[in-house]
Amino acid sequence: MAKADAPILELDRVTKRYFTRGNIFGHGKREVLALNAVSLQINPGEIFGLVGESGSGKTTAGRLIVGLEKPDSGKILLQGREIGNLKGKDFRLYRRHVQMVFQDPYQSFNPQVSIMDSVGEPLLTQGLAKGVERLEKVLAALKNAGLSPAESYAYRFPHQLSGGQRQRVAIARAMIVEPSLLVADEPTSMLDASYSAQIFDLLLGVRDRLGTTVLFITHSLASARYLCDRVAVIYRGNLMEIGPAYEVINNPQHPYTQALLDATPKFGRCGDIPRHGTLLKAERPSTSPGVGCAFFRRCQPARRSLCAVQAPAWRQMGEGHVCACHFAQTGEPDTPSGEECRLGI
Amino acid sequence: MALLDVQNLSIGYQTAEGLLQAVEGVSFCLQAGQSLGLVGESGCGKTTIGMALMGLLPSNGSITEGHVLLNGQDLRTMDEDALRKVRWKDVAMIFQAAMNALNPVIRVGDQMIEAIVAHQPQVSKDEARRQVEGLYQLVGMPVERIDDFPHQYSGGMKQRAIIAMALANKPKLIIADEPTTALDVIVQDQILQETKNLQRELNLGIIFISHDISIVAEVCQSIGVMYAGQLVEIGTSEQVFYEPRHPYTQALVASFPTLAGERKELKPIPGEPPHLIGKIMGCRFCDRCPRSESQCKLDRPLWQEVDAGHHVLCDHC
Repeated sequence: MAKADAPILELDRVTKRYFTRGNIFGHGKREVLALNAVSLQINPGEIFGLVGESGSGKTTAGRLIVGLEKPDSGKILLQGREIGNLKGKDFRLYRRHVQMVFQDPYQSFNPQVSIMDSVGEPLLTQGLAKGVERLEKVLAALKNAGLSPAESYAYRFPHQLSGGQRQRVAIARAMIVEPSLLVADEPTSMLDASYSAQIFDLLLGVRDRLGTTVLFITHSLASARYLCDRVAVIYRGNLMEIGPAYEVINNPQHPYTQALLDATPKFGRCGDIPRHGTLLKAERPSTSPGVGCAFFRRCQPARRSLCAVQAPAWRQMGEGHVCACHFAQTGEPDTPSGEECRLGI
Repeated sequence: MALLDVQNLSIGYQTAEGLLQAVEGVSFCLQAGQSLGLVGESGCGKTTIGMALMGLLPSNGSITEGHVLLNGQDLRTMDEDALRKVRWKDVAMIFQAAMNALNPVIRVGDQMIEAIVAHQPQVSKDEARRQVEGLYQLVGMPVERIDDFPHQYSGGMKQRAIIAMALANKPKLIIADEPTTALDVIVQDQILQETKNLQRELNLGIIFISHDISIVAEVCQSIGVMYAGQLVEIGTSEQVFYEPRHPYTQALVASFPTLAGERKELKPIPGEPPHLIGKIMGCRFCDRCPRSESQCKLDRPLWQEVDAGHHVLCDHC
């Protein structure tokens, strides 16, 4: 993969807050910092993984990037253009360049619309093709998504397809307008492992064939390890560690990434892989939100005098590998011995 | 005597298109205090087996052949009254979507007290409450949360509450059907470790049902792999995961990424499982099997013992 100079997508100190509703008198309203000054760059043609648990803000990031919501502060730039000010025709064009595949293949289709019309709809709204041309494009898109013979799928309805097939249709629908960036939000979390592997291969194929950049949002370090070139780990709206997928997962430096890896179920010959043990059993009392390190409350090596008051800065761990922790040290990787150890997806 | 002895179990569903043979000829045995994992893709019949063990098959489903012996008693010959006494008392189930298994308008502790009193009428409410407090401690939940409503619990706490409730009547056998699917990895890991500890402390038999072999591998001593309604490989966890022999198990294992080493290509299994309506000749996996020969389509495969206690349903392994 050729590394171009300019990132295709850039997040510059993007912050997004939500407010919980509270009770009917307006008491108990709480602010939730979904994204706290998140900055990252995604290069053209790479598959970038955003890894986090539920509530980490990873889905919020995806929604901001495709323009479903607007950030409270900070900028999102696609190919150097800020997307916050796009209106009308420009915004429609942006929507064409950035497509999304959602998590739940059972809910992302209108049950009363045939596959043909669902997949062909973006062509109509974008004014790209109609009539026979549209039909041909839909069939080609289905075929490219591994649904062949395409004719036998085009006139079915969503309930006649399995989850894996529906997710393929969702990818066909996103790819039919030839986007430059595909945001895939947990596209396999509802699927069995063997079908997940098929969807991964489809996404890899899309990137290799068309050079489409993919932002892959996932809770699973294992699928990020398989699919992604680079990953960022996010916890409660804060980025913790960014680096090449292989580095981050084989040689994690942030205590949170280490805890995630510890918790990932494993099987096969995994006996001698030590646990990092960086997760505190009991949570520490809360600090005020936005102050200190987001992981302080659950971090074993944390020190109150430092971590509770001062947010850690990025520290260089290796080539393109950075980590936001006061205590992270560049060191030799713990010689990984997990070639026969498999990770749960 | 085995705690649970399943012999040649077949289960069918009456559908508009005919009889759907969801489970066919499944046999396995579970000793007290042992754990068995049932893994397979969705639709392979693993949940159907769990439901049958609880006597909770839907009205269009029935056991068409075989026996389920729990402590030597055949569940198939029991009427609904007898089953109700066995259910939750001797065998309890932890369902897939824990969030939906709790009644949202009743305090969690009260729901558990109800479960205890319903099955042990001799226990007073105060005594039941003391037992519930003990259960909360057992599954690592703060006792002061007993009087909360389900919506005040996090997903992990609801799952723990469901586990506590399953343990309330001190069953000897627990059936856990995808108990951690909706949870984050860190919470999932805590629940799995706790399940393992509880199993040891209480000498529980566990049938652990999941599509994710990594989760089953964390908990279970032996593993049964299911495909299209049949058990295709069974053995200890080490045998099945170190040396998988059935082509389906091998393919399933290869669809998970490795921790270290070169990024090896995952090998997704091509195609889809067969439809289970009507008679299937030969091996059910042969259309997707890299090793299939023309004979596989015609002959029913036979069980082979490839290692002590390690059995495979395949003629070419």
